Amino acid sequence: MSKSSPRRFGGKSTGTVTVIEAKVHRSSARNAKMAFILTAVIVGLLAAVVAASYWHPIVALIVGALIGVPTGAAAWLLVRVWPVLRLLWWWTPETFLGVGLLTCWVQLANHTPTVVTLLVVALLVGVPAVIRPVRRQVIAWTWCLIVRHRLRVCFAQFIIANQSGSLPLILWSRPTPVGERVWVYLRPGLSAKDLEGRLDKIAVTCHASTVLIERASENNAAYLRFDIKRREVLTATVGSPLVDVIDPAAPVSASPLTVPTALDLPDIDAPTITLPTQGKPATKKPATSANGSKPAASPSSDTDDVSDWI
Amino acid sequence: MTTTVPTSAAAVPVGPGLSMFDPLFIGIDEFGQPVYLDVIYRNILIAGEPGGGKSGLVNNICGHGALSDNTRLVLLDAKLVELGPWRDIADAFIGPDIDEAISVLRRLLIVATNRYTWLLANRRRKLVPGDGMSVIVTIIDELAMFSTVLGTKQQQEEFAALLRGLVSLGRACGMPVVAATQRPSWDIIPASLRDLFGYRAAFRCTSLNSSNIILGQGWAEQGYTASDISPTNQGAAYLLAEGGVPRRIKAAYLTDNDIYSIADYAAWIRRPTTGVPAGSRTDWEIAA
Repeated sequence: MSKSSPRRFGGKSTGTVTVIEAKVHRSSARNAKMAFILTAVIVGLLAAVVAASYWHPIVALIVGALIGVPTGAAAWLLVRVWPVLRLLWWWTPETFLGVGLLTCWVQLANHTPTVVTLLVVALLVGVPAVIRPVRRQVIAWTWCLIVRHRLRVCFAQFIIANQSGSLPLILWSRPTPVGERVWVYLRPGLSAKDLEGRLDKIAVTCHASTVLIERASENNAAYLRFDIKRREVLTATVGSPLVDVIDPAAPVSASPLTVPTALDLPDIDAPTITLPTQGKPATKKPATSANGSKPAASPSSDTDDVSDWI
Repeated sequence: MTTTVPTSAAAVPVGPGLSMFDPLFIGIDEFGQPVYLDVIYRNILIAGEPGGGKSGLVNNICGHGALSDNTRLVLLDAKLVELGPWRDIADAFIGPDIDEAISVLRRLLIVATNRYTWLLANRRRKLVPGDGMSVIVTIIDELAMFSTVLGTKQQQEEFAALLRGLVSLGRACGMPVVAATQRPSWDIIPASLRDLFGYRAAFRCTSLNSSNIILGQGWAEQGYTASDISPTNQGAAYLLAEGGVPRRIKAAYLTDNDIYSIADYAAWIRRPTTGVPAGSRTDWEIAA
């Protein structure tokens, strides 16, 4: 494919759908080659050694090669399709869920009249939708499925992983009152510190409010727990149990207080202390500026002026 | 000063069965689970912007202390109204008066020293419930008033120094300190004092930095910041227990009525010990 055409079409390669990224694709090809050579050589040699005890060594070598090459090819194929297998693995819950639901629907439609089918479906969908706790549970678990994919998107899109482009293992997830909690096993190349700098981006990708990352294991830094928060639950007022242990009939006990009567600003006299404190710098200023000449002479007219100013 | 033991033995006649050694309920966490604190062997620093819900937590701790067996309260509140309801049952209630505050802290330090001598004499390192010694809970609301506003610079420094002594000594001798302030930055309390508080509760803050000052450096970068608490969500806070990870809690709320009811009840059950009895003492003794 020419290099100019993808550029012309806005960076997307024409006619192909990117299932596996180029980097992953490349490394997968390299790995597959390595897997083929290693498996072929090792299995071939082992087979030859075993065969040598039955046949002539040359025949044994040929037998070894005959066994080694197909095994290597199998290994090559496995490594080559691994990204696709991984992709299938990521979508396993959804696939099974989808297949299960579809099977149920088909079976139901085949074995019952249309009215009954619709009735059953309406009941199966309607009852959980109406009963609030059930609906919440369904929504929470749905988010659990979604959020695992969103986290994978985070890792694939903007969290720089290692050279081979392997993504962290996104393990199970379960709903919490505030959102979801997902357990993740990091691959080499990432650390909890790297992720902490991108919490806001992860939150955006997961359509969440905030994301917190904690270590899930004391002994293993690779094993993390993502706490995804998408709703505020601590909004209701929490009562104190102390209120229940007391006897409300207890007599009122309050020591008498002397309540001040000056409860407004005009009731408080302007403090007279402020005048001298204001006066001090005022007297000082003329003292520094004009005192040098004045005290010795002390002319009456001048001093009057100064006192007026004060 | 060693007379604390005999007086405390006579001090508490009846109680609702609470003790400061019991876990103290302060609210619920995000999983709806109750959150308990063992304030007795820790000190707690409560901070956050005004209206964040600090006083709710302070009053919860105070209420528990008030209803607890063999517990003395030393209350310092420059604002008077936050801890004022408990003034009748407190061994010391100090308003905006730094001289009194310093004097009571001095007394507390002497008690702490004496208790450690007693512990040493008994070949022990820590006070346990069976010792019969009272727990002295020191609660300070609006710490900034004492450390920056009231008194002279020298007095403020002395207050901070004495408080640091109490916070560092009180832990193992049953004299915990609960301090509340709006922003515990270095100009309010020295970092060396702040770091002695084992538990931190950060109510809503305006900035990441303020949250970090309360919880400790680095927590905001990890996503634990009290600035993401909604201003309308009073009582929500991040609680950092010693050596753990901050967790979001909602502090239990006590209405003014509740507070006064608990205070009245506490005064009633503590009647022989309180210095200021409500009503004639003989009446209460007959009633008991």
